[in-house]
Amino acid sequence: MVLDLTMSMAILALMGALATIAGCIEDLESDVGSQSNPNSQVQLAPQMNFLHRIYNKAISGEPISNGLSAVTGGVVTTVLLNARFYPLMAIVIGALIAAVIYGIFATTSYAGRVASQARFKQPLYMDIMRYTTPSIIGHNFIVCFCLVAIAYIQYVILGYPFTIPFLALIWGISVGAIGSSVGDVHYGGEREFQNREFGCGLNTALSGRIVRKAESGLRTSLDNVWFCAKFGGPATGIGLGLTVFFSSWPTTIWGYTWTAMLVGVIILAVMTIMNRLVEIQVKNAYGPYKEDKEEKGAVAVAHTH
Amino acid sequence: MSDIKEISPTNLMLFGIIGGLIGIYISPYFPTAGALGAICAVIWGAEAVRRVAKYGLGTGVPSIGQIALGMGVIAAMFGLAIVKPLPIAGPIVALITASVIGFVIGWFAQHVIKMKIPVMIRCMTEIAAAGALIIIGYSAAVGGNYDFVRNLIPRVFDTGVMLAVFWVGAMAMLHPFNACLGPDEKQKRLLYLAGSTGAITMVIMGVAALMTLGVSGVITLALGIILWVIFYKKFWDEVYSDAASVVGTGLIPKTEA
Repeated sequence: MVLDLTMSMAILALMGALATIAGCIEDLESDVGSQSNPNSQVQLAPQMNFLHRIYNKAISGEPISNGLSAVTGGVVTTVLLNARFYPLMAIVIGALIAAVIYGIFATTSYAGRVASQARFKQPLYMDIMRYTTPSIIGHNFIVCFCLVAIAYIQYVILGYPFTIPFLALIWGISVGAIGSSVGDVHYGGEREFQNREFGCGLNTALSGRIVRKAESGLRTSLDNVWFCAKFGGPATGIGLGLTVFFSSWPTTIWGYTWTAMLVGVIILAVMTIMNRLVEIQVKNAYGPYKEDKEEKGAVAVAHTH
Repeated sequence: MSDIKEISPTNLMLFGIIGGLIGIYISPYFPTAGALGAICAVIWGAEAVRRVAKYGLGTGVPSIGQIALGMGVIAAMFGLAIVKPLPIAGPIVALITASVIGFVIGWFAQHVIKMKIPVMIRCMTEIAAAGALIIIGYSAAVGGNYDFVRNLIPRVFDTGVMLAVFWVGAMAMLHPFNACLGPDEKQKRLLYLAGSTGAITMVIMGVAALMTLGVSGVITLALGIILWVIFYKKFWDEVYSDAASVVGTGLIPKTEA
């Protein structure tokens, strides 16, 4: 389909918006179940006698698990489109089936992992299972809907030569990778170890000693989402949204030409310089890692012997 | 725990290979059998992943699953495509190719990277072979046959269903151990979960087969759902008996910490 410039920009804006929503919700979804980076501490806690009421959603890493739901949604959508369903309906049903399958994987990982920690007396809380799993399914539905919608736009309107499941899978992997690298930074250390000094790093003695109590009552995974929705989720959303926008913007304006390539390279260069400036600023503001007094003492003792 | 009787790896390997090949060879007459064969291979593969990943490969479990299907898809395409005059030999050539690739990668991991995992070579060979059977089995359930040029390319590759076979098949194989990771992991629970994840993949293949094959897709879908319910229920029975306690709600039990 050939579009004029205004329409192309509208499509691009729509894709950017969908990607922003997908990125944001993906990060929150991974936090509902303590997936990815924070998962290791949740897994470790019962071993250190820190039993907890946090969901242990170990459906592998975020790129793989989101790829799973996106490709499932893509396949179901393709089948429905082939059966002459209205596109929006096809995408919604595809995303719904994918999200439910994703939820099934989530229940098995929580139940399986807790059952494998029997010797530490970690109980399997069925209320956690009942009200956290629907939240996971709901979040994943939104993510999957946005990703399959982007894949549909690329395939049908922009005329990409790849199939919808293929594009959806690539977007699923991308959203997982960005959620893992951008979003986790604002959750892993901070929320589980919020009773320690900010940015103190995690030494071995603290392993598994996660915060298990909330402002009122015991902390569950849903409390973590509330925390992450303030910064981690939106940051991830902007990350993926900008990725989609900047990777498509040059070709939308200039078409598939060398000018577009050059603009792409310039965008990359500007971003690299900006990243470096931020890094230098952070290093100047916070300096190198400061050793604890105890650590210094241990090093001094080691040197004297 | 060693006092619990486990099914031996060799028996599961035979179950996977024989079940997988029978399913694949029946698939031209009854496409659903391809998916049933693939479930046998998933159960075998999950056990192989379990044995190799027990050596402390925490985050490595998903990688093992992905590499398995990566090796499997290359071997499956090579095996099915190379025997054009004699398509019936395809699955066996693919199985042998996958075993060779797995053996070479396992040998490299063991002797070049020096990972020092005693079962590495055997398990890599096994998971690659299981990966190839998973790819061919599920593809045959969607394509209606394992004929590469006439069935698989137009029905499985051109429609993009191959990506689902690859990705969901890998999840089916790696998820059971990943989800049961922990010191009290038990083989029985893991195998039931492998059946459950294999059946979920079968359901997705059934949906895809609705598009490519029509009626036999309905059979795959319905049978997949029934199998999933059975295996999922069995898995939960094991969870109820294995877990320290299953409670409706409650406070955290008192411990020394």
